[in-house]
Amino acid sequence: MEEILKIEHLVKTFGSNEVLRDIDFTVSKGDVTSIIGASGSGKSTLLRCINMLEEATGGKILYHGKNILAGEVNEDQYRTKVGMVFQSFNLFSNYSVLDNCIIGQTHVLKRSREEAEKNAMEYLSKVGMAQYIKAKPRQLSGGQKQRVAIARALAMNPEVLLFDEPTSALDPEMVGEVLDVMKALAETGMTMLVVTHEMAFARDVSNRVIYMADGMIEEEGTPEKIFTSPDSPKTKDFLSRFSAKNV
Amino acid sequence: MTIAEMNFFQRMLYILERYGSSLAKGAATTMAIAIICTLLGCVIGFAVGLIQTTEPHKKDGIVKRGILRFVKVVLTAYVEVFRGTPMMLQAAFIYYGMSQLFNINLGMWSAAIIIVSINTGAYMAETVRGGILSVDPGQREGARAIGMSHFQTMLLVILPQALRNIMPQIGNNLIINIKDTCVLSIIGTVELFFTFRSISGALYTYFEAATVTMIIYFVLTFVCSRILRFVETKMDGPSNFDLATTDTLAFTSGLTRYDANKGGTF
Ligand SMILES: Nc1ncnc2c1ncn2[C@@H]1O[C@H](COP(=O)(O)OP(=O)(O)O)[C@@H](O)[C@H]1O
Ligand SMILES: [Mg+2]
Repeated sequence: MEEILKIEHLVKTFGSNEVLRDIDFTVSKGDVTSIIGASGSGKSTLLRCINMLEEATGGKILYHGKNILAGEVNEDQYRTKVGMVFQSFNLFSNYSVLDNCIIGQTHVLKRSREEAEKNAMEYLSKVGMAQYIKAKPRQLSGGQKQRVAIARALAMNPEVLLFDEPTSALDPEMVGEVLDVMKALAETGMTMLVVTHEMAFARDVSNRVIYMADGMIEEEGTPEKIFTSPDSPKTKDFLSRFSAKNV
Repeated sequence: MTIAEMNFFQRMLYILERYGSSLAKGAATTMAIAIICTLLGCVIGFAVGLIQTTEPHKKDGIVKRGILRFVKVVLTAYVEVFRGTPMMLQAAFIYYGMSQLFNINLGMWSAAIIIVSINTGAYMAETVRGGILSVDPGQREGARAIGMSHFQTMLLVILPQALRNIMPQIGNNLIINIKDTCVLSIIGTVELFFTFRSISGALYTYFEAATVTMIIYFVLTFVCSRILRFVETKMDGPSNFDLATTDTLAFTSGLTRYDANKGGTF
């Protein structure tokens, strides 16, 4: 499959704290990759480096072969292609649901208001939020906010969508509605890179799982492999502690 | 009946009859200066506050960083000096300084507007800086993540929210300006307080003139604060929203509808 992102020897330090050490992996078209790992292992930092919200300290991030860290791609153009869904939603509180999904299209992609609105409505109906176009973010529940945030990201028609623990800030009864949307999205062939603690999602929806520990990729493989017969004792240990705690 | 024979209320009525139009003119001048200068002060405050909250880009060279640093120092000095000295002295300093040092005779209006705007700008700069910093950093990240430039992020997302956050302080500044324009009487601006002094000087009815003038000031500030409160609620939009009806959604009818039991449908 066509390679979209190729991460090579990625390093990120905060002061003397080495948060990412020599990360290597590839994201190909249609991949649904789950990144799992203990809190503090560097998962968010990895996504933020890929989205350039943090500046990597070393290594390469190749987008269709061009190194974004060397400025070979326009940063803002690149971000329209690599969308991000945050744990804390980050919907624009000064705009309605509809305008949240339009503003990037009209101002960044320079689409006409009409075209942008049509596109926004399409994705808002797909996440089940079309009825709420007039609402402000503060008037929505967490699950609804996250569904709008997904529609906002999709409305930019990105090539890859990064999710950073999209359900971790939600009340338990709302986790399902967001996971369902993500599952439906994965089934359309969308390329997704998902940091999650939802092991059922990682196991059943993604086609690849990356386990991170201490800023490194400890193990990577198919969900069957990682969840049933992991090579690394660390992976095994993490998963056993996880299932003891959460299931 | 002479003034000496009148009682308190008769004197107040007499002042209104005889000096009503001067008082109205003085009040209009006060309001004009206060409103214009609050607006200009906001413009200055936003410009300064924006620069103060600008971080140099990682890729900026030493020259660009140096310039930004220098500008920030100058602006900080401006803010501290104008917040730290009385406006009455600033008025005298600028008005008489201009004529003595540069032989420029500022007219009453330009002097008044320059002084109050610059003074308001110094206060607003700090307010705006706080307003920008109070916007959740996630808002910036959300905007950057869909490809907005720094400029678009500020203009479309951060500043509108900062403006809403600082509306109460802007209102406060307007109220303060309505009252504080009275210090302009030192450079001869014929505003409401100046009118009060002329009346009381001519009639020797200090108590009654002060009462009448205070009532006028109070009405002005009270009406302004009510109007601003109204604007704030307008900015917040309705507290309820209507669910879109099937009519407005008609053009999406080709798509599968959301099924609450099934989640998204793509
Ligand atoms: N802006 C920052 N400054 C300093 N340290 C940070 C910053 N962001 C994250 N870290 C550190 O990096 C490590 C990894 O954090 P993070 O990527 O958020 O982990 P995860 O998402 O896997 O929980 C943590 O030790 C955290 O304290
Ligand atoms: Mg995290």
